[in-house]
Amino acid sequence: MSEGEKPFIDLINQNQGLIHKVCMLYENDREARNDLFQEIVLQLWRSFPTFRGEAKITTWMYRIALNTAISGLRRRGRTIKTEDIVEKHFNFSDVSDDHQEENFQKLQWAIKQLTEIERAMIMMALDEIPYEEIAETIGITQNNVRVRMNRIREKLRKLMTP
Amino acid sequence: MSLELDDLKSIWKGNKPFEAKPAEEIAAMLKGRSNSPIAKLKRSTWFELVLTMVFGVIMLFYSFTLPSGALKWSVVATLILFVVYCIYYFKKLKLLNRFDASHQNIRENLEKLVKDLNTYLSFYKTSYAVVFPAYFFLVLLFTAIERGADAFLHQLTQPETILRLSIASLVFIAIMVLVSKWYLKKLYGNHLEDLKELLKDIEDSSAQSKE
Repeated sequence: MSEGEKPFIDLINQNQGLIHKVCMLYENDREARNDLFQEIVLQLWRSFPTFRGEAKITTWMYRIALNTAISGLRRRGRTIKTEDIVEKHFNFSDVSDDHQEENFQKLQWAIKQLTEIERAMIMMALDEIPYEEIAETIGITQNNVRVRMNRIREKLRKLMTP
Repeated sequence: MSLELDDLKSIWKGNKPFEAKPAEEIAAMLKGRSNSPIAKLKRSTWFELVLTMVFGVIMLFYSFTLPSGALKWSVVATLILFVVYCIYYFKKLKLLNRFDASHQNIRENLEKLVKDLNTYLSFYKTSYAVVFPAYFFLVLLFTAIERGADAFLHQLTQPETILRLSIASLVFIAIMVLVSKWYLKKLYGNHLEDLKELLKDIEDSSAQSKE
């Protein structure tokens, strides 16, 4: 690892979760997720010299990670069957450790049923990114984000309730 | 049952921590080859440029060995065409090098990609719709110049010549269309349609908020 690479690798280490989440929601199998992870890291590395701190580091990372995941010329239309990851019964009011993991998997499955753009929006919202930054990252107005988020929430509700 | 954003957030935070990749693995990733659309376009443009230049050099040397005549003029015409292609490839590479996804939001990025892919596809389609038939007629013209207009027209009106030319042009065009289609499919597949769908999805957001 060279001296020039160290600050970048430290940055990636501090924010690995963000990249993992993008990979998890845009790819289904482990190999494809690893490929996407590498592609995102590569794109971040190439843009790193031009990053001047004008945007928040997470906003910059989200923009590049989502651009890479969404516009990458990959095979589309792959979805995971519900039965593959979780039992059909869902109880999000139960917060015990066992159900927490189960609920998370169900939410993950439901998000994967959304469109690529909707996935990006809900992921940022769940990570407490303000609507203003979501709007900037996607390229729509804050009002668009609000309307779209209501529809996404409704879609998730239908997907997650038996 | 209501499902508020805060409920979803609490579920989202309940995920198990991800298995962190070690620093050495990330350092190794930095030396990898990109598979982004722009990187692929750059590689395919470089491949086409090098291929055009190699064939250009071969044809240039070949043209020196030919006596003056239809074939020599055809080769010279091809070389001129190759120079035009090379200028186009250089221009395309210059444009692709300017592309930087980090400064663009998802919408702008998709718009740029759709525009770039459309330019590529229309270039190839123009190539086999205009350039190849034009080149075919150019060969006929050089043959006419070499043999003399009267002799050429006499030969051209023979049923056997018409049949041979028709079969040759059909085979030529069929091969070019099939090869070009295969090449474009291999390069872009249905990606342009996918990108347009994504863009439409973003544009629908604006329409929905106006409802």
